[in-house]
Amino acid sequence: MDVSEILAAHVAKQKLITVEKDIPLEIDAGFLTVTDLNPGDAESYDESLEEYLLSTARDGVQALVSSLFALPITSSADGPLARLPSPTTQLPRAKPLPKPKPLTKWEKFAKAKGIQKQRKDKKVWDEEKQEWVDRWGWKGANKREETQWLSEVPANADADYDPAKIARGARKEKMAKNERQHQQNLVRAQAANMNSSTSDRFEHKKGIDRTLATARTSTASMGRFDRTLDGEKRLKGLKRKFSAAEVSATAEKSQNLAILKNLDREPIMKKAKSSKEAGGDVLNIRKAIRSYECEDEKGEKMIFISVVLA
Amino acid sequence: MLRTIKPKNARSKRVLQAREPKEVEDPRTAIFVKGTHSGEKVTGVMKELMALKRPNAISFSKKNAVRPFEDASSLEFWAQKNDASLFVVGQTTKKRPDGMVLVRMYDNRVLDMCELGVENWVSMNELKTPKATPGHKPLMHFASELFDTHPRFIQLKSMLMDFFSGEVLDSICLAGLEHVISVSLAPTPASMNSTADNLQGSASKASEGAESSLPKVHVRAYTIRLLASGTRTPRVELTPMGPSLDLVLRRNTEPDPEILKQAMKRPKLRKQDVEKGLGKKRKNIEVDEMGDVRGRIHVAKQDLGRLQTRKMKGLKGGQEESDDSDDESGDEEAAQSRRRKRRKGE
Repeated sequence: MDVSEILAAHVAKQKLITVEKDIPLEIDAGFLTVTDLNPGDAESYDESLEEYLLSTARDGVQALVSSLFALPITSSADGPLARLPSPTTQLPRAKPLPKPKPLTKWEKFAKAKGIQKQRKDKKVWDEEKQEWVDRWGWKGANKREETQWLSEVPANADADYDPAKIARGARKEKMAKNERQHQQNLVRAQAANMNSSTSDRFEHKKGIDRTLATARTSTASMGRFDRTLDGEKRLKGLKRKFSAAEVSATAEKSQNLAILKNLDREPIMKKAKSSKEAGGDVLNIRKAIRSYECEDEKGEKMIFISVVLA
Repeated sequence: MLRTIKPKNARSKRVLQAREPKEVEDPRTAIFVKGTHSGEKVTGVMKELMALKRPNAISFSKKNAVRPFEDASSLEFWAQKNDASLFVVGQTTKKRPDGMVLVRMYDNRVLDMCELGVENWVSMNELKTPKATPGHKPLMHFASELFDTHPRFIQLKSMLMDFFSGEVLDSICLAGLEHVISVSLAPTPASMNSTADNLQGSASKASEGAESSLPKVHVRAYTIRLLASGTRTPRVELTPMGPSLDLVLRRNTEPDPEILKQAMKRPKLRKQDVEKGLGKKRKNIEVDEMGDVRGRIHVAKQDLGRLQTRKMKGLKGGQEESDDSDDESGDEEAAQSRRRKRRKGE
């Protein structure tokens, strides 16, 4: 059997789809681009421009299409899909890279502690209704205590004790707390974000105003006879308040105890500083050790401290 | 500067979110702006370029007094307003007839500009040949050694690639390869070959003489025909589609190296993200444990009022009957009153 004919036919077929150039074509399949770095042929350019352009373009496109058809192909409803490699040409971006989102306080803590996020299902099984209900929202499971027809009442409850009202209050309180924490997180994120001097100056100015207001109200006359500067605004809503000359013994005792307690306490500024030194803003190690001391005996305490130091 | 908008509803929030920077970017949107005088030629060319760029193209129909090389503040404003990062500004003057300025933006600021003069052009409509479907990705073909060596042409190539195919795709439908945009240069003049060593110097000079010596740029668009070749790879035939442009390079501004460095920053994509659609957020699509792709679709609320139930004579509306004829409806009324009477009797 003579194979040479078959081989010749194969070579002839290959010839149609291969492109021979002095400098091989640069193909960037990711951007579907081919670059032909061969110098142009001035003669054929002058002779017939359109034909010359068409022939160079055909050669380039043939090479590009060959490389595209050689890519790994998956089939789809619209036809074969070629999986493109990532582009080799570097083009400038239109917008800067997205900034990472600042972590919330909880996320920071969870990261430090290695707490994994656990996704809760949105629906929970309701035994009574025998169906899946939303965990929260309209007819949510978190409102069960407010809507149930029978609820427990403590023995010493008031006459107007309303369990539904109390459950609702607790739920609303939780929502408010969450919102408050959310706002605090936003403020923290903004503070971390803003390096501009304008906001710092604004904050500084506000702090000065606050100090001034405190200073002015610290005299017995609440600053009424102080010298004022031009353009200084009068503080509004200030009134002297006198405590009653005669108070009950218990009230007096509690007042004095409160003062004594404050005297004993560490100043706020100092406290904040020391807690920062103790190890990051996430975990207060001093506090952790203190709480540990309370719980356990001496021997274990020593072990724990050595762990912390290591 | 535009004021920063705080979204008031979910829809505007979504729109603003879509405009936020992404790791893998969407194709650039181009705005086509006419200057104070843009001749017939430039208007036509811009229209055709817009047809190729569609759907990522916005046309400004009114004339605008913009001079990108002197003051780019309007461009920056429009870029922010329209979330666009490419401009084609058409302007014809006595000194620079039939000029088109390609402007590329980064972070709503001008990155670089390149002015092209249109010498000859053939419209898409003049060539009675098949056209490509709008919105299909074109192939790009560049032919000249200057695209690798000369800074002006390196910039031009980068800009045209950004203009026509700047989007990073993970796969492409091979049946959808319909057209190619070919950018070829005239053969390099001998003067440029001899001064190949000090190209940088000649480019930075940017004198009129140096610009006139740059070879012409021929932009052609062809449709592709894939013919069976007996092997897996088809044989390619090209047909001129139009527009055909013969351009000359004029003024340009190079990108500021500091800004360019920022613009060239690449995101660190994890392999997993690359597999999951290149860091783009894919909604309602997930891969289950068996490795099957599952999608969720939203079905609008069904209008039960239009539901066709079983047809019965008694359920027919009164209007249809009255349409037939007057005397029939009279009969109907009589029959109904009779029925009522009967019921009363019961």
